[in-house]
Amino acid sequence: MSATLDEYTEAAVQRLLTEHPHLGEQGITLTRREHCLVLSGEVESPERRDEIARLVTEALPDVEVCCDIGIIRAGMPTEHEELA
Amino acid sequence: MIRVAAVGDVHVDADVVGRYRPALDQLGDCADVLLLAGDLTRHGTVAEAKCVATEFGGLPVPVVAVLGNHDYHADQPDEVTTVLEEAGITVLEGAGTVLTFHGIRLGIAGAKGFGGGFAGRCASDFGEPEMKAFIRTTCRVADRLGETLRALECDVLVALTHYAPCPDTLAGEPLEIYPFLGSYLLGQAIDSAPTALAVHGHAHAGSERGTTPGGVRVRNVAHPVIKQAYSVFHLGETLEAQSLTASGSAR
Repeated sequence: MSATLDEYTEAAVQRLLTEHPHLGEQGITLTRREHCLVLSGEVESPERRDEIARLVTEALPDVEVCCDIGIIRAGMPTEHEELA
Repeated sequence: MIRVAAVGDVHVDADVVGRYRPALDQLGDCADVLLLAGDLTRHGTVAEAKCVATEFGGLPVPVVAVLGNHDYHADQPDEVTTVLEEAGITVLEGAGTVLTFHGIRLGIAGAKGFGGGFAGRCASDFGEPEMKAFIRTTCRVADRLGETLRALECDVLVALTHYAPCPDTLAGEPLEIYPFLGSYLLGQAIDSAPTALAVHGHAHAGSERGTTPGGVRVRNVAHPVIKQAYSVFHLGETLEAQSLTASGSAR
């Protein structure tokens, strides 16, 4: 994969995250900053967040990767919606 | 009044087992039924389906699900369905079920659905075989969903899909991918019956609330959208009353 931060690199990373046999993530946003690539979005577990950061860093060894991926909350709802 | 809990896109694998359980164990206090709006697994493997069965099986309320596109990735949707059903989860694909709560019959018609886009900006049955196969898949699925909705004998009718039946609940997603997120044909099927609520997932960056062109309430319950273990909807209107206001067209 090219280490140049251009649109083709972004597309390749998105496909990597979706098509990697152990990942299948389609909800990560890539933002190309001047000196780094920011990963944002939310996933179901800390393990997935760490794996995404590891794979992207491995694919782009010359690029500074900033991982800002959160974990989706899974608590009880505090309200319901009336649809009468 | 029937209390419907719903969530989609939970993408369960071994690393997620146990995360939902504290909230699910209290489900009986706030809901009569739980709907799962597809993408229950990451890749649709049997091993992942067993994790879903562990997390969503043995709950204090009935669980009704449809599969999502992720659940088809390993080409084992039948095996995934079998694992879920062995755990007591009802899996619908172009089919329906009726559950009775407090003397009220809740009809649920379920289908994964498919893409194609929305009115005026959609794929057509034209051109290459691949394009025709794409839209014909959506037509077939939507036709079956509509038939199921119209055939269910119940007091309150709910449509459960993975793909979106209207563009409202996609707000926040890039416009370029709308045709991959849902189809107006699903909305047309939902509008062909006196549907009280349509629940879907799939659009992680979408928004919660919308309506079909016929005025049916649509809720996107994708987990990244609702940011809680499940949403709860209280449905009180009867089918007869709902049909007085339904403006959908029969297909």
